[in-house]
Formats: sequence, C-alpha cells, structure tokens
Amino acid sequence: MKQLNICIALLTAAALLLTGCAGNREKGGETTGTAEAGQQETEETQSQTEKPAEPEARGTGPITFTDMNGREITLEKPADRIVALTASDCEILYALGAGDTLVGRGEYCNWPAEVMDVPSVQSGENTNVEQIIALQPQVLLMSAMAQTDEQIEALENAGIQVVVSYAQDIEGVYEAISMIGTAMGKNDEAESLVTEMKNTFDQIRENSTGDGSETIYFEVSPLEYGLWAAGSGTFMDEVARMLGLANVFADMEGWGEVSEEQVIQRAPDYIVTIAMYYGEGLTPVEEITSRSGWENIPAIQNGKLLNLQNDELSRPGPRLKDGAELLYEFVYGGKTE
Amino acid sequence: MKKRSREGFSLPIYILFTAVTLAVMLLCICVGSVMLPPMDTLEVLWNGLTGAQGPVNEMAANIILPVRLPRVLCVALVGASLSLCGGAMQGLLKNPLADGTTLGVSSGASLGAVTAIAFGISLPGFPFAGSMVMAVLFAFGSLALILSLAYKLDSSLSTNTIILIGVIFSMFASSISSLIITFAGDKIKTITFWTMGSLQGSSYENALVLLAALALFGGLVIGCGRELNAFAVGEDNARNIGVNVRRVKLTVLICISVLIGVCVSVSGTIGFVGLVTPHMLRSITGPNHRRLLPATLFGGACFLMLSDLLARTLLNPRELPLGVVTSFVGSMMFIYIFYMSRKGR
Repeated sequence: MKQLNICIALLTAAALLLTGCAGNREKGGETTGTAEAGQQETEETQSQTEKPAEPEARGTGPITFTDMNGREITLEKPADRIVALTASDCEILYALGAGDTLVGRGEYCNWPAEVMDVPSVQSGENTNVEQIIALQPQVLLMSAMAQTDEQIEALENAGIQVVVSYAQDIEGVYEAISMIGTAMGKNDEAESLVTEMKNTFDQIRENSTGDGSETIYFEVSPLEYGLWAAGSGTFMDEVARMLGLANVFADMEGWGEVSEEQVIQRAPDYIVTIAMYYGEGLTPVEEITSRSGWENIPAIQNGKLLNLQNDELSRPGPRLKDGAELLYEFVYGGKTE
Repeated sequence: MKKRSREGFSLPIYILFTAVTLAVMLLCICVGSVMLPPMDTLEVLWNGLTGAQGPVNEMAANIILPVRLPRVLCVALVGASLSLCGGAMQGLLKNPLADGTTLGVSSGASLGAVTAIAFGISLPGFPFAGSMVMAVLFAFGSLALILSLAYKLDSSLSTNTIILIGVIFSMFASSISSLIITFAGDKIKTITFWTMGSLQGSSYENALVLLAALALFGGLVIGCGRELNAFAVGEDNARNIGVNVRRVKLTVLICISVLIGVCVSVSGTIGFVGLVTPHMLRSITGPNHRRLLPATLFGGACFLMLSDLLARTLLNPRELPLGVVTSFVGSMMFIYIFYMSRKGR
C-alpha cells in the first residue's frame, strides 16, 4: 500500500512537472516559431514580389495565383463561400466588400461588428477540421502558423482550397490584400484599398517631422499580468519608424516580456498601450500613470499616453492605416490631411 | 529526547542566517535588468531607510525604491512562505513529495484567481485584491473539500487519503481553470501571462500583505514544530504521546492554505520552491522540524531571490517567467541532491 502511494505520488509529481514544462515549452516554441516563420515569410514575400501573380481576366475561366506559403492555387471561379480563420483576413474581406461571402470565421475575429453574426470556428492551434468541412466553404483562408500538413490534406480531400495569408510587415499586408482580392475576383477593390493604405502611410511619412530622437514605448500587456512590449519586426515598430520615432525596445526581436526598470531607464517620450478596458477600475492610461517609479518618464510627465483598444496596430489588416493615423494625431496633433 | 536548548537553532545561527539572507537581498537589489552603480544604489537605499535627503543618481532613485526593492521583498517573502508550506506539509504527511501543488491547494488558489480575472472580479483601486481574496477563499474551499472528502473515507484523516484526494482535486481544479481560460475570450492572454508566474509590478502593499500572512500563519506553523516531529515518528505514536493529531493537522493545513492563497494571488503559480528547498535544507539541518522550518524561511527566500535575479538578468532586456527558472534550477539541484544522498547510503 505504501509503495503504491509513493508510486502514485511520484507519477503525479512527474505529471505536474510535465504539464509545467509543456506549458513553458509551448510558449517558448510559439515565440521562436513566429520569429522563424517571420523570416521565412519575409523571404517568400520578396520572392513573391519579384514575380507578381498575374490574375486572369475576371469572371472567365479559372483563377490562378500563388498564396503566401508559395503554393500554386487554382480556383474554378471567384470564391463565394469562404472561411477565414484570422481576424485580419476577415477585416480584409469586409474592406473589399466581400464580407457576405464569409460562411465561417475564426473565434477571435471581432471586426467589423457584422462579423460576429458569422458562425465561429476554432482557430490557431485548436483548428478543428471537422467544423470547417461542415461549413462547406470553397476556400479556407488561414495563417501559416495554424496549419499542419495533415490538416491541409484533410481539408483538400474534402474539396476545400486552402489559401495561406500570413503578413509579417506592411508590404505583406498589401500582398495579402491583393491575393485575397484575386481570389475573390475583386482585383480593383484590392488595388484601391492598397493604394489608399499606401497614400495614408506616404502622407504620414511626409508630414512626420520626427528624426528618430523622440522615443516611443508600446505596451502589449499591462503590468498586472507581466509587462510585454513590442520590439523590432512588429507592425508597431514599423509604424513608429514611419512617424520618425524610435521604438525604445528596438533591440528586442518581436514581442517580449520586459522589466519596469528597463522602461524607466529608456525613458520613452510617448507610451502606447493596447490593454483592454473593461469599464471598471483604473483605465489603462490611468493605471500606467499611477505606477510608482514611472513619474519621471517624459511621456508620463507630459501626459503623452495613448490607449488603442481595437487592435489597430497589432493586426496585419487594412486598419493599420487607422492605427497609424491615430498615432500621428497623438504625436503631432491634428489630422494628416 | 534532546534537551530543549539544543533542539532549535541558537541565536548566533539565526544571526548568521539573517546575515546571509540580507546579503543575498542586497545583491539582488544591486544587480538587475538595468545596471546601476552599486554605490548609488546603496546611497538611495540608505536615504530611503533613514529618510535622509541628498543628491542622488536620479535614475537609481526612480528604479531602486519604487520598482526593484518591493519586488525583491515580495520574492523573498513568497519564497519563504512557499518553502515553509512545503516543509510543513512534507512533515505532516510524511511524504517527500508533499507540496501545495500535490495537495491541490495551489490549483485551488489558481482557480480562484483565474476566476477573478476571467469574470473581472476586482475591488476598485486595489488591482490585486480581487484575485487575492478569491485565491485565499478557493484555497480554503478546496482544503475544506479535500478534508471533508478524506474524512468521509477515513475519519482519522490518514495521510494517504488526503494526498490521494488532493492529487485528484488538483487535476479537477486545473481542468476547471483550463475550461474558464478556454471561454475567457479576450482575457486569455492576460491569464496565460499570469499563470506563468511573475512578480513584476510587486508593490510595498503586496509585500506588507505577504509579511502579515507569513508572520501570523507562518508563525503558527513554526509553532507546531514539535508536534510535526511527533508526526514524523508516526501518527499513532503522536497520538499516544498526547498530541491532538486532528487539531494540529487542521491548524497546519489551514495556515498553509492561507499562505499559498496569498502567494498565488501575488505571484501566480511558481513551482518547485516548496518541494525542493526543504529537501535541500534537510541535508543541512536534519529532519527536526524545529530546525528545519525556520531554516526553510531563510533558504526559500534566498533560493527564490536568486532565481528571480536570473529571471531578470539572463536575457536582458527580456524577462523570463520566474517559474521557468525555479523549475529548471530546482530540478537540477533536486536530482543532484537526490543522487548524492542515495549514493552515500
């Protein structure tokens, strides 16, 4: 009996350790995975821009293009039943005026409000092939992170065309938009959306007087849950450079947990938080202002704090331009026009 | 039986322990994510302690007193509390693997805190109070549940029954936590960060709460050292020499659940401290709980402070989750000590 107990206790301890380690590894793996995928993707993006996909004439014959994973895709006709797993792809579809083709969305898609009426399916690492097949879409839009070869095979056997959309930078977003536009037979809309974004960004770049001497700090997760900041290679970093600002954590690749001490030492001139506010307690801006030891950070002394609550700068979608505009207004005051 | 004076530590040994702990604490305050000149740091510390005003390095003043010191204090107190709990539980249950986690108290406390975060239970103005109250309540609740179930099966509250039910409850509570996390939507990220265990953003209020809990409930546990020694010989034996077995068990278990609840709500789940430190210290102090339990306070504080130092500095400017460091360092040390002690036999 005693031996049995010891065995059980040992097994439990082992199980606890394993789950602990698994959790950690998962987390670490995810980060590196993203970084690697990011590099890979950038390379692919480059090769992609070298040989742009030539869309066939509209409405006639099959459409062929290369997706962002480098796979040749052929569609018999423009897609009219789509499941999109990532929030940014849903946003692109709506921005192209193709929101009505969505028959399913990933669980975290929440913009625009209409998308919430579309049936939701599990996404990311929980991607559920059965749910997707049941919706009988013609095309499944997913990100490179979410796929396993088995899943893709199962989906394609069910007659669903898998298209990978995975933007890592603003160039990548343009590519995703024109690729989705091609697949939807909405090339013109895609082109004008990309032009609109480019114009906005150009205007911001032109009007921005910053020379990189002023600094900005992007807070992705508030202090209560561990301070996470945006480093280089993020959309936030890209937009900061567009505005002539230097990201205080440019020496860090991707997103990472940082210490309060680092923020205090790096003394940013502007602080942007994307923390959600649930309508009780301190607002994210108030919470940051009230942190002890942060009083002498220039951004806090000058009240230069901005709360972006709607994922404008964290999603590779068309609303990046809204985020950039909001940031411009915040930094320079007044509109870009 | 040994003479009373030789059972516990003598004063010089306490002074030595305190000195070592303070030295480690000073090291952890002087070294950090941002490198500051040690002399400036000491000056800021000195001014803070004595209330003196003087020309100081402004950066050091902004970092040391408001950010680094409260964190180091919280880390030390969490380490001390968790190690004390582990040591007491291992003695009480006569099980080398007993810990807040194996008994289900930690998982219960986590469940409470996760619930508080997911459903936005908070007291306005006290960002940590909601999850702390819920964590302590759930730690209590899970303990009550475990004990009453164990009591149903076995009215003498035998250690085997308690630990079995604790393990089962632990899994149950974790599964409910996962369930809540699955449905938590937007708050998933924040909960995930929190469950990794972090002492970022610790405040003096946190340290004060931890200190109060440790002084009161930790004091009670240490007070039970003699009874725990009797348990080590065997429960029947303890009963025969006049120990009120059930009352001691309840006192220790309730104190432990409060301590763990408070720690979990401040720092998230930090594994391995409660399990490893008592084992490491037992090789120095011997199995006597009147020596072991006070030693776990100092040992746990030092172990966690040093682990946190690594977490803060290893991947500068990034921070590592503290749980990763404690599990990694702790398991290495544990294997080493286990192997060495087996070989000696």
